[in-house]
Amino acid sequence: MPDKEALAWIQKGRAYAGKKRFKDALRAYDKAIALDPACAPGWFAKAEIAAEQGDFDEALALCDKALARDPNYADAWSKKGLCLFSLDRFEEALAACTRALALNGNDPTAWYIKGVSLDELGRPVEAQEAFGKSLELEIITDMEAEKKRTGR
Amino acid sequence: MKGNIPIAKPVRKFVFHAEEILDTQIVITRDKDAPLAGSLIDKFTYPVENDYIVFPAHYIGLIKDFIIAKQVMTLLVKGAAAKRKEYRVLSFNEDCVYNGLRQIYLDALKDEAKKEKKLPVNKLIEMLFILYLQFHEDLNELPWNPVTNTGVYMRLPKIRKTQLYYLMKEGKEDMDEMIEQMDIVPRRYFVLSKAMFYARDYFLAKTLPADELMPVINIPQMKKFNHLEVKEMLTTRWTQTAWYQSKVFGDSMLTIMDSSIVNDWKAEPDLDYYYNLYRITRRLTDNLLSYMTMSDWFVWEPFKHMQDSLQKKNEYEQKALQRIFGDLIL
Repeated sequence: MPDKEALAWIQKGRAYAGKKRFKDALRAYDKAIALDPACAPGWFAKAEIAAEQGDFDEALALCDKALARDPNYADAWSKKGLCLFSLDRFEEALAACTRALALNGNDPTAWYIKGVSLDELGRPVEAQEAFGKSLELEIITDMEAEKKRTGR
Repeated sequence: MKGNIPIAKPVRKFVFHAEEILDTQIVITRDKDAPLAGSLIDKFTYPVENDYIVFPAHYIGLIKDFIIAKQVMTLLVKGAAAKRKEYRVLSFNEDCVYNGLRQIYLDALKDEAKKEKKLPVNKLIEMLFILYLQFHEDLNELPWNPVTNTGVYMRLPKIRKTQLYYLMKEGKEDMDEMIEQMDIVPRRYFVLSKAMFYARDYFLAKTLPADELMPVINIPQMKKFNHLEVKEMLTTRWTQTAWYQSKVFGDSMLTIMDSSIVNDWKAEPDLDYYYNLYRITRRLTDNLLSYMTMSDWFVWEPFKHMQDSLQKKNEYEQKALQRIFGDLIL
């Protein structure tokens, strides 16, 4: 289990990231990592920011650091898939998403990246299956959000 | 194309196609505060160097791809018209506002005469311009919807399931619009507003084709009119409901859409192709305006004219009210 204080810094960092205050967020994540270097969520949170800013090489390296600390970190595998796809490394992206989905089959992003990677690899039938699953999960999330928004 | 977002291959190809046709760069970005339909900030409308498409950050997969595709289609149609120096929007001037407000007021008076609980005069006067602006907004947007949706459907078969979900959601939201004001808004305008959305959904249901889009099945208030016989409708209380009337007007508007949206969708998608879609959109808008006897409510002008008019809207409203009510309004 990551250090409690480290987790609190990560939470703080996420609040900054939500407001696009990425420098403050990164500072908070670094504090978390300094408190607990084995804290996979801290490395993963840094990866999220790097990916958001389009630095996919850096994001990939950070995902690997998170995964070195927790090999069963589903979100980190999913983000790694996204980074690899963005770097045109489709075979590896597919492998990363497959691993992410083995850990969490309800991740719409992983299904989507799996779909787009398969499409790029010229496997349209399998791509459609992955897209179908991604859409199904995205619709469920969207309907729940809508229900919350309208109260109906 | 600029942007750090993974996009499905067919949609990405469509973005490149738009960039090539319009000789532009499209920047795609996500924003948690973006409207659900996304937004397009294009250089044909705004003083920007590139064309920007912004989509809501919580959409990550195919829904995001559909939103991007639809905005790209809109950009192509706008851009083709702009390149021919013919891009116009529905705008208004002092006379237009007077024509619109006067007509709404006369219709409101007819409604008020039949009501037991009358609307306070100040509320009635306030409602006139709000309703006018609502139609202005709807008529600037709605006619684009069946055209761009059909275009996306024809060009991007791989995202059709997503499109269907999105349209069902959009149709439901549009049908819910104005319901809370149902007893305040003059019946004619409530019915016309609903009828426009009804016709759009029906048109798309026929074109896509998607049974799930049928308003008579999907909209709770419309359900009772499904499979209702004409004779039954004509001889019962149904004829008096706003929803039944929306269906009747909506069926007429559907005929207008069918006759206005005529295109060879499989033709080579070049600049002429998209320019033709723009002409269809304008023709449809004109035909709907004519059907609703609103032809003198708006004018076709460059976007800048509409921006200026919106700046002056309060002045136009005041002048129109003075022309209608004279000194009584002071």
